[in-house]
Amino acid sequence: MMVYDISAVFEDETVERVIHILSKQSVSGIPVVDDNMKVVGFISENDIIKAAVPSYFMLLQSASFIPDTNQLIKNLSRIKDKTISDFMSKPPITVNEDDPLITAADLLIRHGLKTLPVIDKNSRLVGVIRRIDVLRGVFEGKEEL
Amino acid sequence: MEVLTVTLNPALDREIYIDNFELNKLHRLRSLERTRMSPGGKGINVSIALAKLGIPSIAMGILGGYVGRVVLEELRKIDKRITTNFVHINGETRENIAIIDEVNDTITEINGPGPVVSQEDIDHFLRRYKMSLSRANCVVISGSIPIGVDEGIYAQLAGIAKEKNVCVFMEATNTLLTKAIKQNCPDVVKPDLRGEQVVLDQKLEEFEDYVEAAGEIVNYGAKLAVLSYKIKNDIVATKEGIWLISMTVPLEESHLLGSGDAYVAGMVYHALRKKWDLLEMAKFGFSAAVAVTRKKSKEMPSIEDIEAERDSFTVERVK
Repeated sequence: MMVYDISAVFEDETVERVIHILSKQSVSGIPVVDDNMKVVGFISENDIIKAAVPSYFMLLQSASFIPDTNQLIKNLSRIKDKTISDFMSKPPITVNEDDPLITAADLLIRHGLKTLPVIDKNSRLVGVIRRIDVLRGVFEGKEEL
Repeated sequence: MEVLTVTLNPALDREIYIDNFELNKLHRLRSLERTRMSPGGKGINVSIALAKLGIPSIAMGILGGYVGRVVLEELRKIDKRITTNFVHINGETRENIAIIDEVNDTITEINGPGPVVSQEDIDHFLRRYKMSLSRANCVVISGSIPIGVDEGIYAQLAGIAKEKNVCVFMEATNTLLTKAIKQNCPDVVKPDLRGEQVVLDQKLEEFEDYVEAAGEIVNYGAKLAVLSYKIKNDIVATKEGIWLISMTVPLEESHLLGSGDAYVAGMVYHALRKKWDLLEMAKFGFSAAVAVTRKKSKEMPSIEDIEAERDSFTVERVK
């Protein structure tokens, strides 16, 4: 069920570069790894949005309270050259390649995530599993990742 | 993961079967079976062939646009032994078209140039290449490079792999290969002679030219050099000597698509799963290439298919 893809970014890459990568790959988030491919974090579009908008905005239920987009633009410009290590989720929530599918489902639901990095016993990235992969797996009666 | 394959200029391969193909004429395909679409580019083909032989690999390279997305999706469908790790860029991945005429035994190939790749994308690729090498015993670097990429890139990739003690297999055309051979000679070298017969900037005409070029590659530091000679034969050189492998069974020249990549995959398989015996690796690779030509489409052979071709050629020492 999992996707055997090890596309990843490094924690010293900039926010601008990571936005470019997420956009080009049409993914909502990507694992962050070290030089030995060990997963050290996860950066998602949500992490970047949270970093770019003023914190009180997250408490608002409607965008009508936001006067204009200038502040968002200003904040994005301010962080675009910063490294993603400041904004990524760490420690990362991961699933082991030998774990059952239900473990991935549980983690995705409990933490409200769209994608989980799949790691081997040495914490190295071997792929990812997305919510749709879990749904497809359950539908097809699969029990393994 | 044991093998890393590098395809800097992947493609969406389209095979179209047209009997009595003629230029300047409308050809209508009467059934969907007469056309086939698959992910391609030499390194990707090697990953597909290795997966069929049970060997997992990481397929790396550069993809872009809608065609790039199709290549990635199709590649993921093939086998879970193939792990992907591509850099995605703004341009559009190319398409390679092969028109196969089985009646006249011809194959007409049109290969696109590929997208323009920026230095920023190359730097992005190189960092991921170094990371992926940490999980590989062997790297296969093959095929063309996209526009904008320095022709010394293969030499650079070979150098990085050698620093990490990763064995390098390389199949490429003269310019890319010559720089690599002279700067950081790969362990196994297979010049791509499908277009022009030039090795180390020297045009090959006579049999002796091929033998000399194969020996020269070994002198530069390659452990094994394999040069295709008049399609049905190969010159194989190691430090121990030079051999001529000659096919003894009829060859369907219209079925040659993917045979070079199966050859490389066969050598890698033999090195990893059987023995690092250079002449035996070449013979196994040759068998794999012959096995591909038995099939109409670019279908990679199984171990049984390869083993079945062990008597389809002779081996003669020439030096």
